[in-house]
Amino acid sequence: MAQQRAGQKRKVVEVPRPEADESEDEIVEGLINGELSDEGESEEGDSDSVEGFDEEDEDDDDLASDEIPSSDDEEDVRQQLRDLKTGGREITPDTKLMGSETGKEVSLLSHETAVRPLPRDRSDQQNYTISTDANGNPRFIYGEIDPVYDSDDSDAPAGGNTIGDIPLSYYEAYPHIGYDINGRKIARPAKGEALDSLLDSIDIPEGWTGLTDPATGQPLKLSKQELEVLRKITRSEVPGDGYDPYPDMVEWFTGKGMEEVMPLSAAPEPKRRFVPSAHEHKRVMKMVKAIKEGRIKPYQPISEEDREKAEALLEYASYDVWANEQAQADHPMNIPAPKLPPPGYEESYHPPPEYLPDKNERKAWEEQDEEDRDRDFLPSDHGALRKVPGYAQFVKDKFERCLDLYLAPRVRRSKLNIDPESLLPKLPDPAELKPFPTTCTTICRGHEGRVRTLSFDPTGRWVASGGDDGNVRVWDPSTGRQVWQIRLSREEAVNAVAWRPSEDTCIIAACCGETVHFLIPKNELCAPDTEARSQEVLSAGFGYATSATTSKTASGQDKPAASTWSRPSAQMQDRGCLLTLSLHTTPKILTWHRRADYFTTISPSTNATSTAIAIHTLSKHLTQHPFKRLKGLAQTACFHPTKPQFIVATRQRIRIYDLQQQKLEKELLPGARWISDISLHPSGTHLLISTYDKRLLWHDLELGNTPYKTLRYHSRAIRSVAFHERLPLFADASDDGTLQVFHGKVVRDSLENATVVPLKVLRGHRVTGVLGVLGVVWHPREAWCVSAGADGGVRVWT
Amino acid sequence: MGKIKKKGTSGNAKNYITRSQAVRKLQISLQDFRRLCIFKGIYPREPRSKKRASKSSTPSTTFYYTKDIQYLLHEPLLNKFRDQKALAKKISKALGRNEVSDAARLERNLTPRIRLDHIIKERYPTFVDALRDLDDALSMLFLFANLPSTSEVPAKTIAKCQRLTLEFEHYLIRTHTLRKSFLSIKGIYYQATIQGQDILWLVPYKFVQRTAGDIDFRIMGTFVDFYTTLLGFINFRLYTGIGLVYPPRLDAQSEEQGAELAAFHLEGQADGKEEVIAGEIMDTDTNAKAQAEADKMLALSGPDTEDVEREVIQKAEETNASTALDQFASLDPSADALLQPSSTADAESAGQLFEAFTFFLSRETPRHPLEFILKSFGCKRVGWDTSLGEPGAYCPEDDKRITHQVVDRPDIPLPSPPLTDGEADEDAAPTRTSNHRVPGRIYVQPQWIWDTINAGQLQRPDLYAPGATLPPHLSPWVKPKKGDYDPTLSLADQATAGEEEEASDDEAEADEALEAAGDGEEVEGVRGDDEAREVEEELEADEGMDVELAASDDSEDDEDAAPGAADDDWDGLSDDEGEAPETDHATREAREHQLELEAEAKGQIIKTSDEGEKKKQARQAKKDVRTRAEREAEEDVERRKMMMSRRKRKMFEKMVYSNARKDEETEKLRGKRRKIEKGGAKA
Repeated sequence: MAQQRAGQKRKVVEVPRPEADESEDEIVEGLINGELSDEGESEEGDSDSVEGFDEEDEDDDDLASDEIPSSDDEEDVRQQLRDLKTGGREITPDTKLMGSETGKEVSLLSHETAVRPLPRDRSDQQNYTISTDANGNPRFIYGEIDPVYDSDDSDAPAGGNTIGDIPLSYYEAYPHIGYDINGRKIARPAKGEALDSLLDSIDIPEGWTGLTDPATGQPLKLSKQELEVLRKITRSEVPGDGYDPYPDMVEWFTGKGMEEVMPLSAAPEPKRRFVPSAHEHKRVMKMVKAIKEGRIKPYQPISEEDREKAEALLEYASYDVWANEQAQADHPMNIPAPKLPPPGYEESYHPPPEYLPDKNERKAWEEQDEEDRDRDFLPSDHGALRKVPGYAQFVKDKFERCLDLYLAPRVRRSKLNIDPESLLPKLPDPAELKPFPTTCTTICRGHEGRVRTLSFDPTGRWVASGGDDGNVRVWDPSTGRQVWQIRLSREEAVNAVAWRPSEDTCIIAACCGETVHFLIPKNELCAPDTEARSQEVLSAGFGYATSATTSKTASGQDKPAASTWSRPSAQMQDRGCLLTLSLHTTPKILTWHRRADYFTTISPSTNATSTAIAIHTLSKHLTQHPFKRLKGLAQTACFHPTKPQFIVATRQRIRIYDLQQQKLEKELLPGARWISDISLHPSGTHLLISTYDKRLLWHDLELGNTPYKTLRYHSRAIRSVAFHERLPLFADASDDGTLQVFHGKVVRDSLENATVVPLKVLRGHRVTGVLGVLGVVWHPREAWCVSAGADGGVRVWT
Repeated sequence: MGKIKKKGTSGNAKNYITRSQAVRKLQISLQDFRRLCIFKGIYPREPRSKKRASKSSTPSTTFYYTKDIQYLLHEPLLNKFRDQKALAKKISKALGRNEVSDAARLERNLTPRIRLDHIIKERYPTFVDALRDLDDALSMLFLFANLPSTSEVPAKTIAKCQRLTLEFEHYLIRTHTLRKSFLSIKGIYYQATIQGQDILWLVPYKFVQRTAGDIDFRIMGTFVDFYTTLLGFINFRLYTGIGLVYPPRLDAQSEEQGAELAAFHLEGQADGKEEVIAGEIMDTDTNAKAQAEADKMLALSGPDTEDVEREVIQKAEETNASTALDQFASLDPSADALLQPSSTADAESAGQLFEAFTFFLSRETPRHPLEFILKSFGCKRVGWDTSLGEPGAYCPEDDKRITHQVVDRPDIPLPSPPLTDGEADEDAAPTRTSNHRVPGRIYVQPQWIWDTINAGQLQRPDLYAPGATLPPHLSPWVKPKKGDYDPTLSLADQATAGEEEEASDDEAEADEALEAAGDGEEVEGVRGDDEAREVEEELEADEGMDVELAASDDSEDDEDAAPGAADDDWDGLSDDEGEAPETDHATREAREHQLELEAEAKGQIIKTSDEGEKKKQARQAKKDVRTRAEREAEEDVERRKMMMSRRKRKMFEKMVYSNARKDEETEKLRGKRRKIEKGGAKA
């Protein structure tokens, strides 16, 4: 049977020829698998199929092909072969495709598929020789197959156009449309007549698609079958008819009567399968031995007791952590926690009775907020230890301590544990700096209203004062007795009083309103010869008066004279006023030059800045206005004690002018808002400036134009400041009702700084309104000073 | 030209980080961070410029030193914390699946054990460092040893604290290193000196502590964890240092009976032989020398216990003659005084203080502190009432060897004389009630023991007899500085001149008041005792007012008497505060003289110059002198202050202010004492 099979195979190998020409529908062929059932049938009976072959030429072709091997009907086969050889060659598959008959059955095609793998043998026609076998039948002896590249080119369509993927329009000018596989031209198919095309256009031929087959250039036609297949594919259905995708299962090995007996082997079980393994026994015995010897310890879960025991052991310190300790230098950033302070007496359970709080303290403590209390407990006395109750805050205290330890930021603070006295600067003992005024010895009362100004007579025996009541009074500072008095005006205040600084005369210059009065006190103040000399001095100027006026008229006719020197009324002359100088402004300050011939008046008014400062010559009755225009509001001015210099203070600036060269020598910047008074040291090198903004400024004129020292000890504005003529003292008067006396030593040596020592605060003047002490003046020789108060008193301090 | 420095790369900006930054850097939770900080002793800092240190605008943030946090990054505990966190996750997962047994197993097997040994070594490189930081640890552990066990404070922790503190006390007893103790209203302070380090701690009284309020026991628990480890190692070192085995053997049975100190048995290292320290049982024969001593004392005691005292003290002094420290008395009070060690400063003398005595503690006294103190000051034989715990007591109350009995009762009468001699001898012990004194022993209140050890010598026991008013109990740590109030000195020794005069003024006033009231029926201040105090208080309150009134009256009188002499000038000055007192005196004198002259001229006799007035004047004159001096000094200071720079002046003023407050306080104390003394004198 096997032989037969082999023979059949060979036969089948041969068959390709008929298959080749009949391999019409490659698509169909691919689509349809051969039916097993058919084959199975064909296997069953030989003779039937042969008969079938005979009977039905076309229908049972597949059976015939199977049956071909049967040695009997070789004639037919040969015939068939011959047919195939001759007919199949010429026909191109394309034409065959085009001209495939509708009548062809799928079954026919399916037959071909069974033989399908064989077409490669087509080119091997000459590969066999025919000889006769022992029976005399022809015997085909096949040679070796040459498996060249082309040998199994089943993919390439046979006989197709080989031009590839180029449009056919390129060949339009040629009679052919391309080349076949052998390089022969493929002739353009003859086009139908115009009538044909007309007919074509009228009735659409069967299978017309409107497409042109690119390979042939002819209209592409699809048969109904093909269209059907395509349609099915697009609907994703199975394309072939009659194909059941879900066939019933064929029960080959299961089902009734089909059971197989397993296992397949019927060999008896070996003995070793029933006997314990000796090898394993050996190994187990080894383990047993190890366990017995204790080499292997059986697992035991750790009991709770053991665990606790182990933990308890760990709780005890079992070694010395500090066994080999090494001291480490403390890190500078490390701040150890401060220890709690030890308890004091008040924490005792039985403290001394003075530590117990009284009723008020207890109440205050209870009312205080817990955080404000300086102690977190209230001292209490328990007579005996048994009476001591528990401390309710204990746990809280400790908890707070814990919080402090880990939450409170730590800062290292250096605590200055020194006597505060040591911080105070060492000042010379005031006793060494004596004399200086310390107490008020005399109070001169008499002025009604404020006392505005004061002046000591050059001998130091008398002090003149002027006040709001329009009076000039002369006092004896040692007793407080009023020696002389003159009323200059009823309405206007006496703004400035100044003794002429020469000892052989006795003249007071007093500014009252717009007039400067020159007074010679008549009383016991001056001896008759002095008085005569004084009168002489005052009247000496009248000789010059005319020339002065002429010069003035020469300068400007229309202008009224800036000042008028005149004799007052006889009544006034009797009372002691011998000369008046009337200005058009109100002079507030009057300062004599040291030679006693010149004096300056300052009238700080805003409307006449050019005439604010005037320098007068007494001997010539001459008035000059040195500044045509002054920057700022003039406040005060003074002459330099030794040099021909004139110092002018405006509100914020101090300017020093050279009188000879008539130019600005220096400008100081005290930085004050409003200067009230200045005082020049007798040496002329240091200047004191008092200001309304509560500061006292010490300027060293040789050093620079900013203050050397700024003293601020008054709570209110400073009104006046004065250097002592001879002693190293100076004093200032302020609106807070005090005078402050300083020791101010100026050394000739320019390398050494001046020393300033505060000595004494003199209190006594009452503050009336906002005004306290308005003026201070020093005795020319003694360490006495006299102050003028807004309360109407003149106080002498010694 | 140097490189331009970038902002925030150095200085405060780099040295400090905020807490949240630190937590983020360490990648742990805030709670873990807190624990870590507590364990490692890391604390926040105060940057010099908070603004530069913080990058945010929020003003109040806690800053840590950056290097501290960097140092924490390498901490092995961090890993433990992470393990714990992982475990917590596992457990919660298991519990979420209802696998309780799994959770339990996980917890049992995987819980990481946190050991703090390495931290102890890090924080305290030397043993002395650890001792220096022991104050807080001991206070905390003693507190926890006295706490009741709750859910927050497990019993195990409490037991551990108790064990450690008792061990520490045993060491102190053994080495006699306890120095001072103080009964405060908060608890009992103890001070010990170990290796030159003074350790001060506070033990609460045995009461149930109030734990209500916002107290976070987790924080305290963390501290306690650390402190127990620390004290464990310290105890080990201390015990091994004196040749004892650590841990000492704990007798569980006697501990349960309340033996406390006696429950421990210390063993020597060398031979392993047991040395019973605390628990000398009643029957054991005491050491012969002590017995002889006690017998001698018994023989002597009877007529007067004082003699015995004195003898004992003398004896102690004799034995100490060679080693006792000499007292350095300063001759010049202005010289610097050196701190002098107390006489119990060395262990030898401390160990001899109570060596010769046998004490018995009555049932109302706190047994544990007394036992601890007595034993650490050399007393080996302490007995107590059975109600205070059976084991460890040396003897029962009626033992003949007892020399001192500590009682805290109002009074204990002497036993009533026996009816018949024969009977009494036999039945003396059984019939005696606990309310009767046993003759032949000294009865003292507990404070006697504290005052004795603080003074370093035995105090007079009669001052501390039962029922007696105790002398004030003073803190042994207050070292009065110059100018501070010292209750041990008399008032005259420390009061300033001004105060004394004021006081004398007040007294004089009071005297006058008494004199004035002398004619009346009732004299103030001599009433019944209970009323007296109230009246006095009233009197005190009024006194100041009285003085003022009197003064004003005077001036009015004067003016009335001499209307003609009123001067215009004078009138105008009446407002002048500054000058008034100064000129006051002079003018008044002048005026008086004037008055006299006028009166003479009129032929009248004026009554102004009677005795009281004169006295008053004299006092006034004195006061004037003083006030003038004061004022001058004040002026001088003012003058000098003028020349200081503003900053310095402010500092000066601050210091003066604080000093003034201190002075005020001491002055107040002195004033109170004066009042009390006066009250006492009157009563």
